[in-house]
Amino acid sequence: MKLTATESERRLQEEIRGFLAGERPDADRLPRPLADRMEALRAWQGRCYEAGYVGRAWPQEFGGGGAPAAEQIIIDQELAAAGAPEFANVVGLDVLGPSLLRFGDDEQRRRYIPPILAAEEIWCQGFSEPDAGSDLASLRTRADDRGDHFVISGQKTWVSWGQFARWCGVLARTHDAGPKHRGISMLIVDMRSPGVELRPMTQITGHAEFCELFLDDVVVPKENLLGGLGDGWKIAMHTLGHERGTAALPRQVKLRTWLDRAVRVAAERTVDGEPMIDDPGAQVALARAAIAVEVLRHHAYRTVGEFLNGGAVGPDSSSVKLLMAEAEQRLAATVLELLGPTIEHGEPGAADEDGFWHETYLYSRAASVYGGTQQIQRNIIADRVLGLPQE
Amino acid sequence: MDLELSDEQQWLSESVETLLAREAHTGRLWGSLVDFGALSVGGEDGLGAVEMCLIARALGAHLAPVPYVGSAAVRFAAGPPAADLGEHAVALAVLEPGASWAAPPALTVLETGPGGGAVSGRKTGVEHAAAVPRLAVVAAAPHGPALCVVEADAPAVACVPQLAFDPTAPMYAVELAGARLATEPLGADAIHRMATIGALLAAAEAVGAAGRMLEDACGYAAERRQFGRTIGSFQALRHLLADLYVRQASSWSSVLYAAATLDEDAGEAARTVSIAKAYVSRAAREVAHGAMQVFGGIAVTEEHPAHRFLRRIVVRERQFGDAAHHERALGRELASIAVPEAVS
Repeated sequence: MKLTATESERRLQEEIRGFLAGERPDADRLPRPLADRMEALRAWQGRCYEAGYVGRAWPQEFGGGGAPAAEQIIIDQELAAAGAPEFANVVGLDVLGPSLLRFGDDEQRRRYIPPILAAEEIWCQGFSEPDAGSDLASLRTRADDRGDHFVISGQKTWVSWGQFARWCGVLARTHDAGPKHRGISMLIVDMRSPGVELRPMTQITGHAEFCELFLDDVVVPKENLLGGLGDGWKIAMHTLGHERGTAALPRQVKLRTWLDRAVRVAAERTVDGEPMIDDPGAQVALARAAIAVEVLRHHAYRTVGEFLNGGAVGPDSSSVKLLMAEAEQRLAATVLELLGPTIEHGEPGAADEDGFWHETYLYSRAASVYGGTQQIQRNIIADRVLGLPQE
Repeated sequence: MDLELSDEQQWLSESVETLLAREAHTGRLWGSLVDFGALSVGGEDGLGAVEMCLIARALGAHLAPVPYVGSAAVRFAAGPPAADLGEHAVALAVLEPGASWAAPPALTVLETGPGGGAVSGRKTGVEHAAAVPRLAVVAAAPHGPALCVVEADAPAVACVPQLAFDPTAPMYAVELAGARLATEPLGADAIHRMATIGALLAAAEAVGAAGRMLEDACGYAAERRQFGRTIGSFQALRHLLADLYVRQASSWSSVLYAAATLDEDAGEAARTVSIAKAYVSRAAREVAHGAMQVFGGIAVTEEHPAHRFLRRIVVRERQFGDAAHHERALGRELASIAVPEAVS
């Protein structure tokens, strides 16, 4: 059991803080237009990669740092604490990259991993479909075997950053017989192929980071199959679990920066002439949000510790996922309630002039849906942790 | 950075579990715990907060009727001088009638005279007071509050039974009329340390009791049949039990994390314990209520053990401050550090 950083971890923290002091990244000052924003995020990831802060624990032969996984977690926590923006290639780094490393062959890893790390090639994921959300195994996008290539047709949705992506990891049905999740394969689709069409979807925040993806007889070479034929479900489940298990700590740090911001808002604003923070009700509401955020850290430490010490990311990552959504939603709703009517109009000079809390609150509703809904996580716990009878 | 138990901690956890499975409800239990080393707290070789929490969790899971929280907390607070307590069980006399856990002692005073110190006053909710040889009493003294250890069976000490919510943790009102000090009094730092570890051990016991209720509820849900199927196959109950699991598991994480901050002497230890106590206080009762819902009507009968666990959980929830108490304290702290920067 160890909470305090080791000497080498402290050195790494200081080194990153030095780097961040020079860079002064600020997620709030990114350009608003999406294409400019993407370019800024790409450049930011590139500079961090140059400095050794991206793919720190990935194998050196594919451009990674070859360090223990704990170092990347420390780096991600420092970046989050500094208010740094996310990396442009978040899907490549958190979802498809780990899949390629685990299930890809050497040729695929050599081809795809280095440009993921440097943000030279952005990745997106084509998993969900309009009629296959939580019930992902019933997906209908088909990949027909035509000898030396596949031909894919179908429709995907929630394709984050699809409009900027060079590659998409697509789950498609390659055969119909047997259990439906066994007939799914993972294919690497070149987004420049003929037959690929994207339609951005505007979210409730007003941004359009997601797309619908239409695939119409898209030709995919055989060598773009990831893992074996029919391995798609296994790959998807592995990577979603991985994402849940390791993303929690940096996310937790980000929530702590939001909490600090919420406390500042409450200290700066007055209601009927009294500082909002002097109201005992406001204090308790903030304390309860702080408790949710801190307990997320406690629980993530316990589950990530098992992973860092060589264990697999187990079904307990589902409990971390549930706590993560709960903490984010409680915090965002608390600020909404504290700001009262002022959140609706963001008056000049007001705490939420830039709409940060508008967006934070609205997007917090997604936290219990993406990466497997709250209900799916409960099913995983009921089956795999508690061993309850199947429905 | 991890919260994995060491091999020694794992061994301790399993050994105390074995001991309790055998002796939790026998007259030998206290002696066996002492022999086991459960009171060898602090110092180089003694138990740390993590080990004490492992023991407290197991005691909660077995509803052991022993004054471990008080006996261990006072030793942890005193540090190595606690050797003069020997093997004595100790009950904590902190709370006064009509006062909160945060209030300084008002009705109980330490007076020093030519014959040494003596404590007089009134305390309430003193767990196991009639069954222990020593009481640790928080009393007002000229230079701030003092933690005074007195002999419980002295003529100057009267224990009157109170209606106890958990009969396995009997409560007493205690009247002290010039009770002589058995050891040198300790100061405000020790009282703070005692309240910190006491809150954490109370939380650890509650986690143990809640964990046991959850385990039993899952077992019951897998066997009980209605509508021709096991009730644990209904999604309504599967999701309820999954939520209870998250509460129970994260409660234990929070207790372990706070214990590690105490053992590593991190500056944030007291605050982290406050967070754990606030969280576990709500979570453990949520688990108890949810488990009783799974058991259904049978859990409302006297013979079913559910209410015994619920009673222990409620008592531990309130000891050293309930959720609202710690939330208010944390909220005040957040407000006090949020000094607005000069508007630029």
